[in-house]
Amino acid sequence: MDSKDIILDVENLNTTFISDRKKIRIVKNVSFQLKRGSALAVVGESGCGKSVTMNSIMRFLGRNAIIEADKIQYNALRDGKVTEHRLEQIEKPHGPEMRALRGPEMSMVFQDPMSSLNPVYKVGDQVAEGLLQHNKGMTKAQAREKVLEMFRKLGIPDPEERIDCYPHQFSGGMKQRVVIAIAMICNPELIICDEPTTALDVTIQAQIMELLKEMQVKDGKSIILITHNMGLVAEMADEVCVMYMGRVVEFGSLEDVFDRTSHPYTQALLRSVPVLGLADGQKLETIPGATPNPADLKGGCEFADRCPFCTDACREKDIPMFQLSPGHRVRCLKYQDYPVAEGGEVQGEVAEVQ
Amino acid sequence: MSEAKTMSIKEQNKGAATSLMKKNIRKFLRNKLAVFGLVVVALMTIACVVAFIGGIDFRTPDMANMRAAPNSAHMFGTDTIGRDLLARVLVGGCYSIFIGVFCAVASNVLGAVLGAIAGYFGGKIDALLVRLSELFQAFPQLVLVMMLVAMLKTRGLGNLLLIFVITGWMTTFRMVRNEFMSLKGETYVKVCEAFGMSKSNVMFKQILPNVMTPIIVSTTTNVAYFILQEASLSFIGLGVADSTPTWGNILNAAKNLQVVQNQWWIWVFPGLAISLFVLAINFLGDGLRDVLDAKQQ
Amino acid sequence: MLKYILKKLLMMIPMLLIISFIVYMGLRSTGVDPINFLVSPDVIAANPDNIEALRESLGLNDPLIVQYGRWLGDLLRGNLGYSLDGTPILQTVATRLPYTLELSAYAMLFSAVIGIGIGIISAIRQNGIVDYIGRVLAVLGQAVPQFLVGILLIWIFAIKLGWFPAANRVSPDATNAFVDAFMHLFLPVLTLTIGMVAVLMRYARNTMLDVLNSDYIKTARSKGIPEWKVYLKHGFRNAMKPVLVILMFRIPALIGGSVVIETVFSYPGIGITMTNAITSGDYPVVLVTTLIIAATMLICSFMVDVFNALLDPRVRLDG
Repeated sequence: MDSKDIILDVENLNTTFISDRKKIRIVKNVSFQLKRGSALAVVGESGCGKSVTMNSIMRFLGRNAIIEADKIQYNALRDGKVTEHRLEQIEKPHGPEMRALRGPEMSMVFQDPMSSLNPVYKVGDQVAEGLLQHNKGMTKAQAREKVLEMFRKLGIPDPEERIDCYPHQFSGGMKQRVVIAIAMICNPELIICDEPTTALDVTIQAQIMELLKEMQVKDGKSIILITHNMGLVAEMADEVCVMYMGRVVEFGSLEDVFDRTSHPYTQALLRSVPVLGLADGQKLETIPGATPNPADLKGGCEFADRCPFCTDACREKDIPMFQLSPGHRVRCLKYQDYPVAEGGEVQGEVAEVQ
Repeated sequence: MSEAKTMSIKEQNKGAATSLMKKNIRKFLRNKLAVFGLVVVALMTIACVVAFIGGIDFRTPDMANMRAAPNSAHMFGTDTIGRDLLARVLVGGCYSIFIGVFCAVASNVLGAVLGAIAGYFGGKIDALLVRLSELFQAFPQLVLVMMLVAMLKTRGLGNLLLIFVITGWMTTFRMVRNEFMSLKGETYVKVCEAFGMSKSNVMFKQILPNVMTPIIVSTTTNVAYFILQEASLSFIGLGVADSTPTWGNILNAAKNLQVVQNQWWIWVFPGLAISLFVLAINFLGDGLRDVLDAKQQ
Repeated sequence: MLKYILKKLLMMIPMLLIISFIVYMGLRSTGVDPINFLVSPDVIAANPDNIEALRESLGLNDPLIVQYGRWLGDLLRGNLGYSLDGTPILQTVATRLPYTLELSAYAMLFSAVIGIGIGIISAIRQNGIVDYIGRVLAVLGQAVPQFLVGILLIWIFAIKLGWFPAANRVSPDATNAFVDAFMHLFLPVLTLTIGMVAVLMRYARNTMLDVLNSDYIKTARSKGIPEWKVYLKHGFRNAMKPVLVILMFRIPALIGGSVVIETVFSYPGIGITMTNAITSGDYPVVLVTTLIIAATMLICSFMVDVFNALLDPRVRLDG
């Protein structure tokens, strides 16, 4: 596949946080590719590094985070021409190179619409800000027209009136639409949605998801959806990436992961999804134990303590990825007869720094 | 896991408490500034108390050596009427530290008790206490103190302590009240009440421990605050009677420009003593906050 | 908005009445007999009848509450009464209050600009050089008593270097009023500013850090706008409100500080007037000065509310 079809290519991304003079690896050897125009769902329990991975790619993390990667390549496609951007080589996280990409190329929808909008500015101005930034010479009136158009597209009622309101006058669902409008206004190719509906109620959730799906299918946008809602994954995703404790444990197409579920963690995750019409006496399963503290982890498989298939070999060293079929990879020793999917991983553990 | 199960819950709690304690002490010792603060506070307090109990002579003027610069007989020099400054700074420290500690503890206890009552019972008593605290806070504390000095007319140590306590309880009051307001709705409080636990028991045994950390920290930093207040008040001549040598009273001599110009030791040494002590207390308070703040653990 | 401001304004009146009542009663009920200050004890002993007549004529025999009413009535008509040595208090206040206001206003202005400025730079360049120096200054500024800072400044700038006068507000032989004012104000304003900056800086830094960690800053960055816009437009604007509130809350400390600082610099303001009045038991002056300070405080807290409303659309539109 050449860079025309792949929009984002991540290889061996490692993110380390420095806390209390200790280094803690939060994201470990994450690799994935996102096909242009497709939707990738990243799933896993809270604290498994989903958001940190995406924030590492967007370079939104604070100074206490160290981001290392062999490759974070974003391929911009404009008028049939591909421009490659190597994000891991950009030095300043908020320098001009990164800023030029944020908005017109890649953008992000955040988890909590309640706090994602600046309380002291009118929503319309907040949406227009990015537009004016990336289109020099655009007048305020033109920007306002564009914003109105976007509001209409996103189904915000009375856009002419709403555009001059402040965030506190909006409901949660409306706020999230505004957040999406901010992300969409510069017409980006890649939209990363970080649990965009967790803070909203179910009916609004469905509407927002509908909107995102439409953008992917109609406008050919590429979407990364971070979620722990398996129902949403089944509806939205073309490919699924399952993460546990900072590692990708299973990666494959929706069918691979849902129908040929391979990693014990993914299996447990899918069993714990509530299904309407659960048979009498059938109990909803939970995954035994809790996610370990990343600072306490030793070598070996992170899931070992909670895994029913765990053997001594699991705890010895880090587990490589095995390729079950083209595009379907699993990080589990149950499949060690299959070929190793990737090599040259960085071995690392919790280290003290002075 | 199996071992843990055989232990009683009480033992487990005890174990957890001691390990938390050890962790906290380690954390505190790692904070170099806090340790520095603790050491300085301890050393200065001990020196002052020892000098005071040892009956060091801070009263008798050495007529031959008035306004003497520091020398071997008087390490800090002598003041305008020839009294030994080292002795005065040490004894003054005793008074100043006592004023600071007493007022900090008393005003925080007062504030905590009133805050607990206001927050727990709410209603009219709460409204009344809140109004009262607002009224007190509408004034600069120093002006309030000056007014009370004017009302009490005499400038004794007892009056000063009373005034500081009366004017110093509002911050703690507000903090404790707000905490009680939010905690009294918690389920565990409701459970305690449902079991018929007495109100004072619920207030002071069940809810109060939750606010102990900020109270302890604010008591520590208030010691510094009251020492500074006393110094300012004594400096302008409205503090403790002149016969009692507090740090502020010693500095009172520096109101005179002649003294500032010619006898630097008269204001530099007591000034250093106050600043160093207050600095150390502030470091100590910050260190305690870091260690005790449950949110950071 | 207008209604909100009006409501707040009206609420100040009962507060002032209550304060004046408490202060008046408090000072009078402690057994201060004004007559003792007017006439020497020997005269009192010698002419008890005349003294009684004097009492009667001064209205000192009426019930306290009547005296309070009379005093308040006089106050509202602009008659602030007389100091025990016979000077009209209005005259004292009229000359001295402007000096104090001048001193406090400059200190407030400079500490706000410097404190907020350094605080915000420290937050943006966390652990940078400004942050480090700022923290050291804040720690020292909170440890050294303000009057000692004043003494130190006098010692350095007035005595050793001789650049500024050590006392007073006006020189008798001043040729240029502006230069004269600058020379006399510089050191006391600097002293007060140092004390205020320490607290403000710390607070501004922490507030700005909180704001910079909030989600809408991330949203702002996701638009690809330059960092200075992120800091100023999105960060500073939101940090402004709590910082302004704390600035207003520091006014009591500022006034308390200026009372002490006026003594250090023998600055002829309202603070030193009050200090002297307390020392000499001149209760009419204590009364008026206290009320003036209380009124200043109330006006400041009123201004906090107005600022709040102006800066926050949530209050502005719904309050």
